[in-house]
Amino acid sequence: MEATFIAALAGLTSIGAYYVGARALGLPSARLGAAVGKMLESVGMVLIFLAVNLTTSVLVVLVVRGLADTFVSAYAVDDAVWLGLSLIQGLAFQSWRGSAAEPASGR
Amino acid sequence: MDTTVRRGDRVCRTIGLAGIVFFLVSAFSPLAYRLNQWMADSPRLVASDAIVVLGGWISPSGMLSLESLRRTNRGIELYRRGLAPVLILLGGSTGGGPTEAEVRAAQARLHGIPADAILTETRARTTREEAARVKALLEPRGVRTVLLVTNAGHLARARPLFERAGFEVRGVPSDPLVGADAPESRIAQMRVLVKEFLGWLYYRIAGYI
Repeated sequence: MEATFIAALAGLTSIGAYYVGARALGLPSARLGAAVGKMLESVGMVLIFLAVNLTTSVLVVLVVRGLADTFVSAYAVDDAVWLGLSLIQGLAFQSWRGSAAEPASGR
Repeated sequence: MDTTVRRGDRVCRTIGLAGIVFFLVSAFSPLAYRLNQWMADSPRLVASDAIVVLGGWISPSGMLSLESLRRTNRGIELYRRGLAPVLILLGGSTGGGPTEAEVRAAQARLHGIPADAILTETRARTTREEAARVKALLEPRGVRTVLLVTNAGHLARARPLFERAGFEVRGVPSDPLVGADAPESRIAQMRVLVKEFLGWLYYRIAGYI
């Protein structure tokens, strides 16, 4: 029930956003596919950062366990904050890549 | 130009698409619950020599995590049903606070389980160490069959470890028996499954199971 409600509501706001974009802002509908592609690229970059962050932190835990006399639980890396941090990193990196592909603006 | 999709972009798009599909399927389908059920197998609630309740997590102030409470309650329930004469509760401390095993033991005594039927183990820090410590604790008592209590995802890793330790294992999942409808709960369940899968993979690669 809750899942259906959320899915329906997200569908409605997506349709609303399409109309606002196409009618009120005059955005070309033909460019929506390319925009979705860009969104997928950004999500992909965020997921790559998430994978790298988690893999690195697990490796650090294993190295610390092997070298130091203290025990660090692998569950210590299991924190939702990684998603937020990876989001920031991924979007920033993707914007950087995008700006590098654009022609220089002069200054 | 927009039409020129660079190779790196294509990789990112594919990963992004896979991530979004996985997210939507996890949130809006009962996949996590079905996977959990499949991993749990059908619990064999038959009389055994001991009930072993694996550690979850305890806060430094002594508050058991929800998963730790679930496992403890399942262990208490199995004992009260007369399925084994001994209840082994595991779990160390976090940040110098009380140990999880002792807090669980107090909980068990409150539910009427006699103190001499409860054994605690507080030194094990990983599932592998738990299997080794429980072996050292129960082998001298001639225990062979155990009801192993933990969440379904964890059972896939814990069961072979305890079998390697020489026990005949009857896995008893501590998970709730109803599927969650809320997308947030489904995502949380999938997160546990992914985490446990990675743990299982690590144990396989390391040759522990």
